[in-house]
Amino acid sequence: MRNILKTSGKLALICTIAAIALAFVNQMTAPKIEAYNIEKLIKALSAVSKNYSISETSTQVIDNDSETSSEFSNVNEYYVLTDNGITVGYILSVTANGYGGPMDMIIGYENNGEVIQARLLKNAETPGLGKEAEKSEYMEIFLSKGALVPIPKRKNQLPSELADAISGATITFSGVAKAIYSGSEFVKTQLTGSKK
Amino acid sequence: MLKEFTKGIFKENPIFIIVLGLCPALGVSSKLINAIGMGAGVIFVLLGSNIFVSLLKNFIPDKVRIPAYVVIIASFVTLVEMVMEAYLPSLFESLGVFVPLIVVNCLILGRAEAFANKNTIKASIFDALGMGIGFTLSLMLIALFREVLGAGTVTIMAIGNFDGVIKIPGIYNAPARVFGLSAGALLVMGYLKAFFNWYSSRKRVS
Repeated sequence: MRNILKTSGKLALICTIAAIALAFVNQMTAPKIEAYNIEKLIKALSAVSKNYSISETSTQVIDNDSETSSEFSNVNEYYVLTDNGITVGYILSVTANGYGGPMDMIIGYENNGEVIQARLLKNAETPGLGKEAEKSEYMEIFLSKGALVPIPKRKNQLPSELADAISGATITFSGVAKAIYSGSEFVKTQLTGSKK
Repeated sequence: MLKEFTKGIFKENPIFIIVLGLCPALGVSSKLINAIGMGAGVIFVLLGSNIFVSLLKNFIPDKVRIPAYVVIIASFVTLVEMVMEAYLPSLFESLGVFVPLIVVNCLILGRAEAFANKNTIKASIFDALGMGIGFTLSLMLIALFREVLGAGTVTIMAIGNFDGVIKIPGIYNAPARVFGLSAGALLVMGYLKAFFNWYSSRKRVS
């Protein structure tokens, strides 16, 4: 009995010391990480805004309507884009499903649901494969699509040279494409009502 | 002491001889820069865990040594992850997913169990450095083969206007993409291991 207590006591002591050390380091690093993430968000917002002015605050999208929740549950919040006071588009914060779990995306849309620009933020994709989606060139596949030209959602809807570029990271591509598509539909059906 | 250091690089090379830590090694060896980053992370965590395991070897009860090692290793990895995210965000971004992967790298637990809990701190430090550098060099070798054959490029650190990607004429336009994918990792690893086996058996005969 004493032996068990001694053994578990020692293990508990190691765990406690480890936890205290981690808590201490976390307290030091958390504000820095937070500030860096905000800076990254601001950069992404301005990259997808096409130089329109962005609303100061964002509107949270709450799923209380059971009809919309299934289709647009991945849309988290949106910012309004204005040009001289007229609403010209929206920036959506969307959660996409990648190979390494959820990925945060910031996507700018025109009023008609056309993609202005998109950026992939926090993700856990494989470097060299899925992580390539962080590059701005990756999103060129989707630019100016969503209104007249449909958004490609599957690999076989891409021209072969583009399909080669995403090979090895098909799941990332599907996740990104699906998020961009549902964001575009959200703008068209929920925000501007151009498609009812 | 020097023997503890060099054995990790040649005689007991973690990848090609004792075959430890293969899962992350194969996963991240698609580009040279990734191999270097993963190697650096492993060297640091291995060094930290070997030092602490060796320090606490008389304190940790034998029955619960594995959970104790896991706590030590996981704490080190989490610490590295937090510090890196806060102070070296660009490095964290390119290595992000490898850092948590180090927890499950059996090389680290393997060295704690097979070496650090039986030896002095000084020997453990040399063991960690040797094993870590051996791991990094092997990983770089696999990554070099995979990247050159699979993509026709060599990616190193980006400095200034240079984006870090060296394109190899001839292969770049028509690479054998399979080497960049998972199957290629196993192929390259297998051929390299066969080569080293052949080499060491030849040396033994002569």
